[in-house]
Amino acid sequence: MNYIENIYICLAAPLLIAVLSLRRDSRRSLVFVLAGMTSCLCSAYISSYLAGVTGTDAANASHEISPAVEEIMKALPVMFYLLVFEPEKKKTISGVMMVSVGFATFENVCFLTSYGTSDLLRLFIRGFGTGAMHVVCGMAVAAGMFFLWERVWLRTVGVFALLCFVINFHAVFNIFVNQSGAVFWIGSAIPLTMVLAYLVFLRGRVDLA
Amino acid sequence: MIELIDNSLQITVLMVCAALSVYLAVRHGSRTWTLLSFFYGSWLLGDVYWLSCLIFYDRTPQISLVSDLSWYAAFIFLYMILRQVSPPEKLKRPGPAVWIGPLFAAAMAVYFMQWGQILNNIIYAGIMGLLFYSVTCRISAEGTEREKLLLPYVILIICMLEYALWTASCIWSGETLMNPYYWCDFLITLSFPFLLAASGKARKA
Repeated sequence: MNYIENIYICLAAPLLIAVLSLRRDSRRSLVFVLAGMTSCLCSAYISSYLAGVTGTDAANASHEISPAVEEIMKALPVMFYLLVFEPEKKKTISGVMMVSVGFATFENVCFLTSYGTSDLLRLFIRGFGTGAMHVVCGMAVAAGMFFLWERVWLRTVGVFALLCFVINFHAVFNIFVNQSGAVFWIGSAIPLTMVLAYLVFLRGRVDLA
Repeated sequence: MIELIDNSLQITVLMVCAALSVYLAVRHGSRTWTLLSFFYGSWLLGDVYWLSCLIFYDRTPQISLVSDLSWYAAFIFLYMILRQVSPPEKLKRPGPAVWIGPLFAAAMAVYFMQWGQILNNIIYAGIMGLLFYSVTCRISAEGTEREKLLLPYVILIICMLEYALWTASCIWSGETLMNPYYWCDFLITLSFPFLLAASGKARKA
């Protein structure tokens, strides 16, 4: 049994208190992490609802419904920030990353607590894989925004296209990690390899956060 | 079996093109290469998703929206590449011929609605209409440099092949090499490296 609301309160309460006592950049980062967790909670409700309405079973919903819902929900806090505060490029990009981190953290906690401890290695790999996948999706959106920022039309059209891109990446990842054996390992390794590739080859050239 | 070969071949070509364009994007820090990387990446992910459903679930996706989303994105990235390489502000006023493309896309959407979902066809018609409009604007504009003309022609060919593929999938079924659907898909696969070359040429101009 997994009560995600309880877990949410446990994780969000200390963060919320910290948000109230911190200032400027640290406060903004924590607000984004908190927004990511809240998006994850809402995504769980919406995905379950849509799966029920369309009559999709859990296995199919994980790659046909959840990716779209989760990526759109993840984008909403950043969209709000962009439209209301009209921030600088760098602040928005780091916001995208922090929302992804918050989302991945909450999803991982819920997933790992509900999964049991029968196969700890699989759980470990899945945890790192899912975390990396959400960060990679955030990085893809951030990288796109980084290159498309200068013109308003590029930013607007680009964000929609980037969302479509990450939804598909997420869906492919979910299909792979729902399999057993080598496919599971490959699926989990892909986002981890991408994060490593970014750190090794791109960090100096493309500063995303 | 032929679908598996077709998809695998397309995925291989796309992976090579995507890797090359990512390398060029990082090396030159160029927006055109970045957009092209996203184009190849989007198309690749759509294919991988489709193929994964075929392999692991032995059927095409129940809700095809996910792979359609990546193909929407791919065509949007193509449109963005066109605008990036030759911005519309620099183009002379286009003639009425540029509306043929959007009209064609709208007519085909009505035709495809007999088989597919209405919303999906409307979205495709919107994106493809915009792409056709941009392509014909650039082809018909006076004084466009020769090096920059190759890119809209390659994009036009890809779009026409895509329409031929969709039409073939409505008329013919069956997994044989005699099905024109596969010919179109093989031709689309062949056109991907040309897009890379055309983008490079247009960027240099």
